[in-house]
Amino acid sequence: MSSSVAGILGKTATPAIARGRLELHGVHKNFDGTGVPAVQDITLDCRPGEFVVVVGPSGCGKSTLLNIAAGMIKPEQGAATIDGKPITGPGPDRAMVFQDHGLFPWLTAAQNVEFGLKMAGVSRTERQDRVAEAMKMVHLSRSMGKLVHELSGGMKQRVAIARALVVNPAVLLMDEPFAALDAQTRTLLHQQLQELWVETKKTILFVTHSVGEAVRLADRIVVMHTHPGRIRAEIDIPLAHPRDIDSRDITDLVQRIRKEIEDEVNRVNATLAPEDQWKPKAAGDLVDSASDVGSGI
Amino acid sequence: MWEAAYRFIGWRSYVFPAPSHVLDGILSLLNIRTLLGDPVTAGWPWPKSGAVVGAVSHGPLLEAILVSCTRLLVGFTMSVLIGGLLGLLMWSIKAIDELLGPLFLGLQTLPSVCWVPLGILWFGINEKGILFVLIMGSMFAIAISLRDGMRTIPPIYRRAGLMLGAFGWRQYAFVLLPASLPALATSLRQGFSFAWRSLMGAELLFAAQYHGLGFLLETGRSFADVAQVVAVMAIMVLIGILADRFVFAPAEQRVHRRFGLMMAE
Repeated sequence: MSSSVAGILGKTATPAIARGRLELHGVHKNFDGTGVPAVQDITLDCRPGEFVVVVGPSGCGKSTLLNIAAGMIKPEQGAATIDGKPITGPGPDRAMVFQDHGLFPWLTAAQNVEFGLKMAGVSRTERQDRVAEAMKMVHLSRSMGKLVHELSGGMKQRVAIARALVVNPAVLLMDEPFAALDAQTRTLLHQQLQELWVETKKTILFVTHSVGEAVRLADRIVVMHTHPGRIRAEIDIPLAHPRDIDSRDITDLVQRIRKEIEDEVNRVNATLAPEDQWKPKAAGDLVDSASDVGSGI
Repeated sequence: MWEAAYRFIGWRSYVFPAPSHVLDGILSLLNIRTLLGDPVTAGWPWPKSGAVVGAVSHGPLLEAILVSCTRLLVGFTMSVLIGGLLGLLMWSIKAIDELLGPLFLGLQTLPSVCWVPLGILWFGINEKGILFVLIMGSMFAIAISLRDGMRTIPPIYRRAGLMLGAFGWRQYAFVLLPASLPALATSLRQGFSFAWRSLMGAELLFAAQYHGLGFLLETGRSFADVAQVVAVMAIMVLIGILADRFVFAPAEQRVHRRFGLMMAE
């Protein structure tokens, strides 16, 4: 399998490890121009080859952050750069995997993967080779000719990952890619994504609301809080990859980080007017356990 | 039942023809003389004297179908091009939509025969006038339904396309155009029925050099030939149904099936 990965990467001159530094500096975005900004003064430096997971509740601005990195949203203040170059718009050097996959339903799985190469003007024979390699990487060699609606949810996301990786991006941006999947499929894809990441050494910026998912995958977790969207904590996860996702270490870490988030919510809660305050009925209410990773976490 | 009612109650055929009369009408338009509508006696249904079959290929019906279908093909193509372009402009440029949207919605409700006087005054009683009515009668519907369909394209396709390097014309050619196929198919199907109706109306009122189906209908009226009138109406309905059944509906279904918008059968 590593040979197939080398094949994909080898066709472009720069080795993956030398590129993929994604920097956000003092980024600020306020959609409606008044009130509370969606993201405020975010500074984040993703080193080449680093797996960074941004975790936070919905509405904390984590998707905004990702879209700024993707170039889909322009920040009002601050700078976003990729390998030192300012990000001015979307482009294949920062390929994105969306929560609702965004595959083109008029194309087959293989044609979806081929799309970025076609746009880049890659020759037909090279396209075929690279598509075949990418589909092999995500274990979908036998589903190349399937239409999008014929694929299961997990398969769709694997095609979306192949579609993003095949253009050899500097950074892979992932916007809650597994949030809509069932627990078993999600666990499978966590394992496969880790394998892919170990082999390709891409910089990955991954956004999720699930602490369990973050601990399973990340080198470094960035915890965000809402109103305004700000970074409240950065936690290094010093566990080796690929991880045993149900190990004691991970379970402990998840509990520790959840506690930190709970404390933060309580702190914010205390600053609110009494009628706006909210008290959790039971432990775990603060983090959406139902949509979180497996029951062991 | 219709036939039985006629035979037993004794409706008068010049007011309300039986199916057998209509069949006679259709066959006579093909230069085949039959008397299916007459009481069943010896020799029925063949005429007592004269040739039964003339030159079928020179019958007015085949010529009229050919003329009407040619006009339809030319006019509908032009209507799709103009209406499609306007629909795209309305979809992509908000100012144009605000300017033309309400106007087009209004014009879409205007019955197509209302364009006939203007067509006559501007172009005269000729092919151009007929095409004018056909285009005016269908392009607004095509523009509006294309615009509405394009609006339902999920924005994520555009974002995914941009992310993969589909900028500028490539975005239109490789993302938005294919993404619009379901909308386009529906729009064409709807536009066709508008076009066919407009054409028939126009042909009825324009006595142009070439005689289409609408003209045959009008001839039937002039000669008080109810059987011919009903026969031509039946042919019109048949052509409309056939085109929808064998061209537009299958095309729409194919697109929908590909996109997974319809349960596989």
